[in-house]
Amino acid sequence: MDSSAARKSRSQPTQALPAKIFHWVNITSLLLMIGSGLQIYNANPVFGGRGGWHFPPFFLLGGWLAGGRHWHFAAMWFFALNLLWYGVYIFITRRWQRRFLGANDIKALQVSQNPKRRNYAWHRFVYTAIIPILLLAIFTGLGMYKPAQFHWIVDIFGSWQALRIVHFITVPTVIIFAVIHSLLSLKVGGSCLIESMFW
Amino acid sequence: MRPIQDHRHLLLRRRFLQLSGLASIGFLLDGCGSPLFEDLVYKASQPLNQSVEALLLNPQKLIPEFPASAIEPDALLINTFNFTPKIDHSTFRLSVNGAVNRPLSLSMADIQKSSLTSMTIRHVCVEGWAAIVQWGGVRLRDIIASAQPKANVRYVYFQSADGYYESWDIASALHPQTLLAYQKNGHPLSIDNGAPLRLASPIKLGYKQSKWITKITLVEHLLPAKTGYWEDQGYEWFAGL
Repeated sequence: MDSSAARKSRSQPTQALPAKIFHWVNITSLLLMIGSGLQIYNANPVFGGRGGWHFPPFFLLGGWLAGGRHWHFAAMWFFALNLLWYGVYIFITRRWQRRFLGANDIKALQVSQNPKRRNYAWHRFVYTAIIPILLLAIFTGLGMYKPAQFHWIVDIFGSWQALRIVHFITVPTVIIFAVIHSLLSLKVGGSCLIESMFW
Repeated sequence: MRPIQDHRHLLLRRRFLQLSGLASIGFLLDGCGSPLFEDLVYKASQPLNQSVEALLLNPQKLIPEFPASAIEPDALLINTFNFTPKIDHSTFRLSVNGAVNRPLSLSMADIQKSSLTSMTIRHVCVEGWAAIVQWGGVRLRDIIASAQPKANVRYVYFQSADGYYESWDIASALHPQTLLAYQKNGHPLSIDNGAPLRLASPIKLGYKQSKWITKITLVEHLLPAKTGYWEDQGYEWFAGL
């Protein structure tokens, strides 16, 4: 009985509680950021201005520009602080070295003939690569939120329009990431792995 | 062993489907352009956001300006909440009153006697667009100083000829790049852009920068339900950049 239970728990993937909390808060706050962000987008589309294509109401949060901004600038705290504590956590626990893309994965991608090892390396590559995208969303967002105090952020991107485009591009990037990340998780660990990150 | 394994997988699949269901409910709540407690969200987040904004504002720090070649003459869109008032410049008076020792009533000639301050800055609209504009005018801080404000002044009200009204924190109003502008891109201000006198500043969103200003009132307290035309509809009050 004892040994079978032990075997069972070994075969089940498990995730650290902080990782699960980060994952949940990240998904939730990102959904709020995207919904309210598209609401703000619609006030003056990045592409085409007032005459440009608008997102249909289904994707929007806030009801109008001011409501979208209220949601965006409330959810930003959860989104950004969640990333911050998680960054400190993976740094202190050295998860950064063990749980994210490493030299061994890059080597596997280059030389490994084992499809399982390669898939796992791709999986780690993809979820590692989204971290700088999330940080870029915050960085460009800060530049648009306070362009006078952080004028150097706008300067880095060359123009206001370029800054808006980069900030916006993080949305389709995150959505494409979510699809690929889900598929790779399923491929690497099946629904057990996906389950383990949520519950 | 096998059937148990399969059973477990079935259970997992069911929970996965439950999870997808949860996610789509979240998405439904998210969607439909729903205002979804936006007023509550504002009430909850506004104190934190406003204190961070006020903290970020360095009242004496000059925001870097742009060369004249960077001016985007067509980028500044015209936004008006109601109508465009026609004002006779020769009879126009700007009154400065409230908590001041020396209330003022200034003509355009009086205002233009003070030295002209010119700045080329980025004008940022709440809608998301921005335009690099040159503004010329008089520093608001100089007008306020000549009215000799009382020590308890904390806010400034701006009344416009079209009925628009705004209120600012005193620190932003006294910023050296907050102007009462009568010139845009090297030309006299057009009526659409707020002639004879409008606010121009790199540190506030466009809706804070009232056009057609006729009255400036210095106060210690804001009126509760009257902090600005858009603010009273639900827009953020501080709106600092």
